[in-house]
Amino acid sequence: MVAGEKVLQMIGISPLTAKKIKRFRSIRRGYWSLVVFALLVFLSLFAELLVNNRAIVVSYNGRLYFPTYGNMIPGSVFGLDYEYETNYRQLAKKFRAEQDGNWIVMPPVPYGPYENDLSAGRYPPTPPSFSQKHYLGTDTSGRDVLARLVYGFRTAILFSLALLAITYVTGIIIGCAMGYWGGLFDLLLQRIIEVWSNIPVLYVIIIISSLLVPSFVILLVIMACFGWVSRTWIMRTVTYKEREREYVLAARALGASDLRIVLSHIIPNTVSIIITFVPFSIAEGIIALTSLDYLGFGLPPPTPSWGELLHQGWTNMDAWWIVCSVVVALVLTLTLVTFIGEAIREAFDPKMHTTYE
Amino acid sequence: MQKSPFILEVKDLKKHFPIRGGLFFRRKGTVFAVDGVSFSLRRGETLGLVGESGCGKTTVGRCITWLYKPTSGTITYDGIDMAAIHGAGLRKIRKEVQMVFQDPFESLNPRHTVGHILEEPFIIHRIGNAQQRRRAVSRLLDRVGLPGSAMDRFPHEFSGGQRQRIGIARAIALSPKLLICDEPVSALDVSIQSQILNLLLDLQRESGFTCLFIAHDLAVVRHVSDWIAVMYLGQIVEYTDADTIYKAPLHPYTKALISAIPIPDPTAATHRQVLSGDLPSPSDPPQGCRFHTRCPFKVKMCEKTAPSLQPADTASSAPVHQVACHRAAELAQRQDKQPNLP
Repeated sequence: MVAGEKVLQMIGISPLTAKKIKRFRSIRRGYWSLVVFALLVFLSLFAELLVNNRAIVVSYNGRLYFPTYGNMIPGSVFGLDYEYETNYRQLAKKFRAEQDGNWIVMPPVPYGPYENDLSAGRYPPTPPSFSQKHYLGTDTSGRDVLARLVYGFRTAILFSLALLAITYVTGIIIGCAMGYWGGLFDLLLQRIIEVWSNIPVLYVIIIISSLLVPSFVILLVIMACFGWVSRTWIMRTVTYKEREREYVLAARALGASDLRIVLSHIIPNTVSIIITFVPFSIAEGIIALTSLDYLGFGLPPPTPSWGELLHQGWTNMDAWWIVCSVVVALVLTLTLVTFIGEAIREAFDPKMHTTYE
Repeated sequence: MQKSPFILEVKDLKKHFPIRGGLFFRRKGTVFAVDGVSFSLRRGETLGLVGESGCGKTTVGRCITWLYKPTSGTITYDGIDMAAIHGAGLRKIRKEVQMVFQDPFESLNPRHTVGHILEEPFIIHRIGNAQQRRRAVSRLLDRVGLPGSAMDRFPHEFSGGQRQRIGIARAIALSPKLLICDEPVSALDVSIQSQILNLLLDLQRESGFTCLFIAHDLAVVRHVSDWIAVMYLGQIVEYTDADTIYKAPLHPYTKALISAIPIPDPTAATHRQVLSGDLPSPSDPPQGCRFHTRCPFKVKMCEKTAPSLQPADTASSAPVHQVACHRAAELAQRQDKQPNLP
């Protein structure tokens, strides 16, 4: 463990933080939740390799093709009689029938999130089927539910993380400024924020999405415009407290500039308080996007999203696999995030670390 | 320009903190933390500022280092009015006026290594390159009696006394001309206190800085000071040299403080003069003499008019002895008749 601490120190982590990380690791439920969640996020970043209608590798006439990323490969390349994108599932069947030494590796789930699988004689939504490789069935348009879930997760998590980054940076800067300078500046900004935070976000989004189709970025900007407020309060309070501590006074007595005091002294000592809110903010971001999509004011169709799936599930209760999949996925994700949040909160509890030796 | 013998002159310093509340932060009241303090400090000498907690002594120290802006009054450092300078000029003075803080657990950033903490003064004032700064830091550690290996360790790995040494090292890093010691030993163990005091005295002998030593313990202050000012509720009530204040205190408050010093002799007769009551709130100081609510010798006049700090008319040989008490002369005579008072 001593060696581990040395390594942490070398990459700029103080022993105080190292101690907190150690404590976090000892809270096993939270730690394993983080491992699982990080794995899910990591896998979702490479979802194209796992859930896709494009093959991972195609070996055709002695040449290897990697169609996953990059431009689409027309069917004629593989000796098919069409110029549009190759249907790799059918190509796989053809190769197997021909047995010419050509082979193809498909992702475990060979369906794309936008692809309607409308086979003859089957009417969507179709129930889960292993033989069709629709492990969670299809939705009302014949799209694979699992594919929509995976890509929807990626959208939600990226949205959430981007929202988190923007709101935290803004909130920390503004809150820190309020707490540090205080006085009239703080007073005015507080009142402005109070007015600002009383604007109903949902209505604003509904109004805006009735004027234009909200894209990922527009939605992000709107949410960020209103989301930074709550971070400001925490940051303001902790800065107020930290500013009066003697080590800050000592730095000021040495002639340190305000910027130096804030960046080198106040923020490193307050960030552990802010960190404890991060997992809950991620959960909030996911919930916000899902509810907007559910109401139809979120990302435009056919973007894969959990909210849209939830809506489908709700309106087609007899297709139980849709609603079940998305509800289980939501509950699982939010539970993981909450477990992580609780563990971080416990590990970073300042009462645990304020020891007067 | 002829240099004045005084490095620091404080004239009628007042620092009032507003108590705010309500929707629009209306001023509800005022804490008269420091209310008319004047003193001067000669180069190379040490002034001890004594008083119980809440009497405003720390505020005086923080006003002098310009951490607080005084409400009124002037602070003249080396002939320069502190209120008149800003920016680069203030930074230059900050280099020369340094502070040792009370709580060594609070005054060091827990996230920085000792090396980083001690390097910061040089970084702020852009002195030397990284290598020179590191050498300067190890010299500093050596001067305050800490091993060079301390550099890469964090404050929490040190004991209270060692941390205070780090705090002192930081304060003397830029070779200040004036050092404000704000109760540097009151958070420490008694056995460590004398080590730190001796360290401060040694450093003063080496570099000859002037020192304002703030403490609540007269015994500590006597050890290091040439002059002593006793504060009560934001005002100086008695000012004289360190010996006289022990031998011939005039103000009843000073007497009470002195009688509270424990005598390490169980057979010695103690005439402990215990003050009744608490320190009145500095947001609502008493009319007249501020000490009258607790003074055993008060008369009618004390409740009405506030005494000013006047040269005391005593037989003692003290060159300077000022006291703020209406009955000082009268009580001094009475004291002569009661030689058993400490």
